[in-house]
Amino acid sequence: MKKAILYVNQFFGQIGGEDKADYAPEIKEGHVGPAMEYAKKLDAELTHTVICGDNFMGSNTEEAVETILGMLQDREFDIFLAGPAFQAGRYGVACGTICKAVKEKFNVPVVTSMNVENPGVEMFKKDMYIMQGGNIAAKMRKDVKAIVTLANKILNEEEIGCAEEEGYFARGIRRMVWRQDEIPASERMVDMLVKKLNGQPFQTELPIPKLDRVPIASAIKDLSTAKIALVNTGGIVPVDNPDRIQSASATRWGKYDIRNSEALKSGEFKTIHAGFDPAAADADPNVITPIDALKELLKEGEYGSLHPYFYTTVGTGTTQAEAERMANEIVPYLQEDHVDGVIMVST
Amino acid sequence: MKLELGNFHVNDIAFGEKLEFQNGLLTICKEEALNFIREDDRITEAELYIAKPGDDIRLCPVKDAFEPRVRPDGRGIYPGYEGDLVRSGEGVTYALKNCSVVVVGRHWGGFQDALIDMSGEGQKYTLFGELNNIVLVADTNEEFEKREQQKKNDALRRAGARLSEYIAGCVKELEPEDMEIFELEPMIKRDPEVENLPSVVYVMQPQSQMEEMGYNTLVYGWDCNHMVPTVMHPNEILDGALISGSFMPSSSKWSTYDFQNCPNIKALYREHGKTINFLGIIMSNLNVALEQKERAAIFVAQLANSLGADGAVVAEEGYGNPDADFIGCFAALEDAGVKTVGVTNECTGRDGQSQPLVTLDEKCDAIVSCGNVSELIKLPPMGTVLGELEALGRDGCSGGWPDDELLGPSVKPDGSIVMENNAMFCGDRVCGWSTKTMKEF
Repeated sequence: MKKAILYVNQFFGQIGGEDKADYAPEIKEGHVGPAMEYAKKLDAELTHTVICGDNFMGSNTEEAVETILGMLQDREFDIFLAGPAFQAGRYGVACGTICKAVKEKFNVPVVTSMNVENPGVEMFKKDMYIMQGGNIAAKMRKDVKAIVTLANKILNEEEIGCAEEEGYFARGIRRMVWRQDEIPASERMVDMLVKKLNGQPFQTELPIPKLDRVPIASAIKDLSTAKIALVNTGGIVPVDNPDRIQSASATRWGKYDIRNSEALKSGEFKTIHAGFDPAAADADPNVITPIDALKELLKEGEYGSLHPYFYTTVGTGTTQAEAERMANEIVPYLQEDHVDGVIMVST
Repeated sequence: MKLELGNFHVNDIAFGEKLEFQNGLLTICKEEALNFIREDDRITEAELYIAKPGDDIRLCPVKDAFEPRVRPDGRGIYPGYEGDLVRSGEGVTYALKNCSVVVVGRHWGGFQDALIDMSGEGQKYTLFGELNNIVLVADTNEEFEKREQQKKNDALRRAGARLSEYIAGCVKELEPEDMEIFELEPMIKRDPEVENLPSVVYVMQPQSQMEEMGYNTLVYGWDCNHMVPTVMHPNEILDGALISGSFMPSSSKWSTYDFQNCPNIKALYREHGKTINFLGIIMSNLNVALEQKERAAIFVAQLANSLGADGAVVAEEGYGNPDADFIGCFAALEDAGVKTVGVTNECTGRDGQSQPLVTLDEKCDAIVSCGNVSELIKLPPMGTVLGELEALGRDGCSGGWPDDELLGPSVKPDGSIVMENNAMFCGDRVCGWSTKTMKEF
């Protein structure tokens, strides 16, 4: 029989509540908490339950992930399951984080479950199957059943249907399928048309993502007194990448002091962006973050002053939601220093 | 305008002593037919085959397909292209149903050329896997384009058109098995009951992006690149006024057969007088330059308003750059107060993760989606190949490749293939046949 391992947090792992959220990772043989419910219908033997406090995972992510991967290193398992995390934000992010790491390290399928409001959905839905779950723990049985149903299909190597049929969050993949009912496009077109003409609800087959348009800021009236800041998604960081910004699908950003630099030096700064050939930016980081030119223009009086830091993240693969969150974290620093204009360098 | 289509249903095709149609059996005298084809001295090599559903046959490189038709009154079936320039869409036309003439290059393919499988896993990917096909495999002396990726395929496509009329000649004196009537009164002189229904136009965007003549869709023989949108009667489309071009990656292509049988037009006809008042066609086009796209969209929206259309359907014969014409036209109609539905395919990449159309607009809230041009398709070898399978990988076909670091060549030594849906002959059937759709995974 195939084997499975389950991840739960301190609460569902029966360690304790919020006061135990710092609980370090532990692996227990057999079934803890929801594992019993899983084991009823799962077409695999659930051999172990991994337990980790939500805060421990949130604050010491790297350590938590490494510890857990170490615990799994010598164990045989064909699938890794986590949660369900309901609407619990930290738990959802923890499930997503560990599932992603396990999938990458051991190349096994992973399945978890979260409520649509859980921030973990937006962060991880492209990386794994996240079942659309309930908002509260009272939905436990239903959510576990959903995870098990999909897990069994994976274990039995059955074809996995579309997100709508199977109940997982769409992973940003659109594929061609033959309709079971064989209704041709011409009839679907007429049906949609008549409904639209008569003001009845209809369902498009190509949903257009909502565009989040930002109004263009008003122009700077007097550049000679304006304070300018530099922000980039080109991944320019000090060579040791102190903020551990990811090379793709970034969730972290960094802030670097440029008060005493006339230019960024190769060997001190580099790019960690995985979406383009880094050779040019590594040889001269100013091609992405033009500190040299900005300092020069400052001397010439072209603009008033330069904000003392530049800000970096990586754009490639980064979700709009993550980008928005990072911007909301960066903007207060700019406002506090009364920055009038930002040069936003993309790559 | 009233068009009467007299139908003869072809259950089987065979070669024999003379060209005739009897009890559902179409018999073709091969030598006579080939002699007719060779009247065009550009044809250097020609052979005829029969390919029926279930046959262990693969066709490649396919150029175009035609429904065999003839007009008992002697007018040509492709006015302005083959035969005199006369109005189409009225009177009587005879058609051989469940049957098509498919033209295949003997050796050389190109960007727009494609593949048909008559059985097995590949059969479902194109409508022509379900039809009784008369297959003309031929080569020409068009040396100027022999090794070009973009081919006009003029001699071959004309040969197919001519052959389709020649073959249907055998029913010219016969009584059709059934008649389909397509009749629409002038737009402004209809019954009050009909006029009270929401009025609808069908906006067609046939492929016309090539600046050089000879590659684009023709309307009465006129290159669609050289027109601004105009109003047409649906019967004209169903009756041979449009000839498919030779440019678009094939799964997005509308063959001449597709124009002759356009399911979207027939579906709107069926609803006419019941749920809608079908006004007719706005024939638009697809352009390369932004200004041309915008001009066409302005014309379409203006025509829809002037005709009093409450609703519109827009369909594009293409993807990529033409998506801008499609979305632009859709948005222009919505801005003009015309409730619009779009029909298109998508290009989401081999991994399904790319943006479906190159441009999007929130106004386009009602779209019927017919397939993914870049879906990977792997198919086993077929017993017989008509044409030259190498053309799929060798000649710049939009869905094939000579080699790939992950997938290897499109054409394997054993005759199995790996290709993108792009190379399935008229595979996405945006003209209305498609039983495919796109789903989120």
